[in-house]
Amino acid sequence: MPRSLFDKIWDAHVIEELPGGNALVFVDLVVAHEITTPPGALAIEKDFGDKLYEPDRIVAMIDHVAPAKDAATAIQAQTVRTWAKRQNIRFHDIGNNGICHVLVPERGYVTPGMTVCCGDSHTCTLGALGAFALGIGTTAQAGAMLAGCLILQRPKVMRIEITGELPPDATAKDLTLSVIATIGFRGGTGYVLEYTGSAVRALNMEQRMTLCNMAIEAGATTGIIAADETTAAYLAATPAAPAGWAALQADPDAQYAATVTIDGSAIRPVVSWGTNPGENSPIDGFVPLDADAESLAYMDLKPGQPLKSIAVDQAFIGSCTNSRIGDLRAAAAVLRGQHVSVPTIITPGSQAVRRQAEREGLHDIFQDAGALWTHSSCGPCLGMSMGVIAAGTRVVSSSNRNFPGRMGDGGRVHLAAPAVVAASAILGRIAAPAEVAQRELAPV
Amino acid sequence: MIVEGTILPIPRANIDTDQIIPAHYLTRIDTDGMGEHLFEGMPDGAKLLALHPDASIVVAGENFGCGSSREHAAWALLGRGFKAVIAPSFARIFHENAYNNGVVPVILPPETVDELMGARTIAIDVDGETLRADGGEPISFELDPLRKQFVLGGGFLNYLNAKIPAVRAWEAAR
Repeated sequence: MPRSLFDKIWDAHVIEELPGGNALVFVDLVVAHEITTPPGALAIEKDFGDKLYEPDRIVAMIDHVAPAKDAATAIQAQTVRTWAKRQNIRFHDIGNNGICHVLVPERGYVTPGMTVCCGDSHTCTLGALGAFALGIGTTAQAGAMLAGCLILQRPKVMRIEITGELPPDATAKDLTLSVIATIGFRGGTGYVLEYTGSAVRALNMEQRMTLCNMAIEAGATTGIIAADETTAAYLAATPAAPAGWAALQADPDAQYAATVTIDGSAIRPVVSWGTNPGENSPIDGFVPLDADAESLAYMDLKPGQPLKSIAVDQAFIGSCTNSRIGDLRAAAAVLRGQHVSVPTIITPGSQAVRRQAEREGLHDIFQDAGALWTHSSCGPCLGMSMGVIAAGTRVVSSSNRNFPGRMGDGGRVHLAAPAVVAASAILGRIAAPAEVAQRELAPV
Repeated sequence: MIVEGTILPIPRANIDTDQIIPAHYLTRIDTDGMGEHLFEGMPDGAKLLALHPDASIVVAGENFGCGSSREHAAWALLGRGFKAVIAPSFARIFHENAYNNGVVPVILPPETVDELMGARTIAIDVDGETLRADGGEPISFELDPLRKQFVLGGGFLNYLNAKIPAVRAWEAAR
């Protein structure tokens, strides 16, 4: 029977079928960070003799609050640090770290066809490499570390084909936000999103990660993209340079539980106006007339209001969605020779990204523009550290969630691509990069 | 096992885990201390809890627990004395976390959940997979037969621990 890409990976990892449509699924790699790992690691230590299934199948790092911001987060970091050392687990401490979903692929730890889990919902990012990668809770992660497997309900597969090619000003961020708007904020629940089509094939690996990163924001178990020559070239250039993996593909006549086709050439740069990522519209447009009233009340917006009329108090470029070198280059292209008019924080996704950006002089462009250039961390994306926003203020952000209070209690978040965030930081309102260029051309 | 108590109605969809427990409380290495911050990220969370101070069952709209994978959401519910959540649907990760921590996730059709929003007390028969609102007629629901064990007896990690020989045998033959 013809199978989807996801089906092939699933079938190759099922250890046994369990009651109720569940299956015991083998896990090739567990990613562990300091926020969600400690209670599980300590439970294994206390109740199961500190024995892990296979420490070589784990990679750990400090990423969410890096470095620690207070006594409690220092204890979290130290717990993971000592655990990783004791267990001989690959560990990336501050200085050599990165956001897990940025660091893990750039090191070459994930190859096509693998199963990967992490106590972090954005683990779906790694589906860009043709792996089945999913976020799970602390207890399930502990189970994967203890017994090498997960208990999962087999998800359905939704084929999402993006035809044609994206317009020059539309990015992978605009594409992923548009997919969520199309299938709905919970439209992917119970599904793996298998992305395909010419516009997906044309994306580089970083852009594919941005696309897969937000599969969870449609409720999906994960997103996945079949490996191709782009994947192979990316992996060959990583420090681990993994070899011996097979580029699994969906069978041409595979059956899908759902199929969605989106015209890639119709994707426009978008900005979110509501309180979930599906509530977004083209930047040249307006807050919809039928927009959810509670969302607008929280965001202090009115139906019909032009998105470009929305003033912002702060800007953030970073997060596992958009903090890779291509994202920073896109922001730098807008910020070069300009000056930000609101506090702007630029946080690279890993220390390796930071060093690359500095080799290219991007840090000078950012700092000349008046932005704060930081070391790598999840930072303010989840309102934990390094730029949490104040109640009642509005941030334009390259991150992934605009939930109420996400980046700070009572704060308001507008999601956009890095270049749009950069342009908005300069103009102090939601703005397209072309507006910055036009401003330069205008007579003084 | 019967879970019985008054309800906390949240008549909205998409209650995400940032609203259930904001990220700035995710700084412990144990599962304690979350209950006092339950729903602090929800604009009307404190007001709702004050209106229903003794509630132990949440009744909410679609897609409860979406967003972050943080199991702290389940720990915060437990810490505040909540033993069950009734909703038309759950986000996948929260759904698993609820089972693994003994928070009963009851799925019912939207119109039934809407009716239950007006109930005072609900009694959930976990073994029998039925519930009664204010002593009314029993309403049937379905739990995952495997994960139900983890609600009734705990022991998710014990279950997986017992699977290790099978996992090793599978891997050896891979």
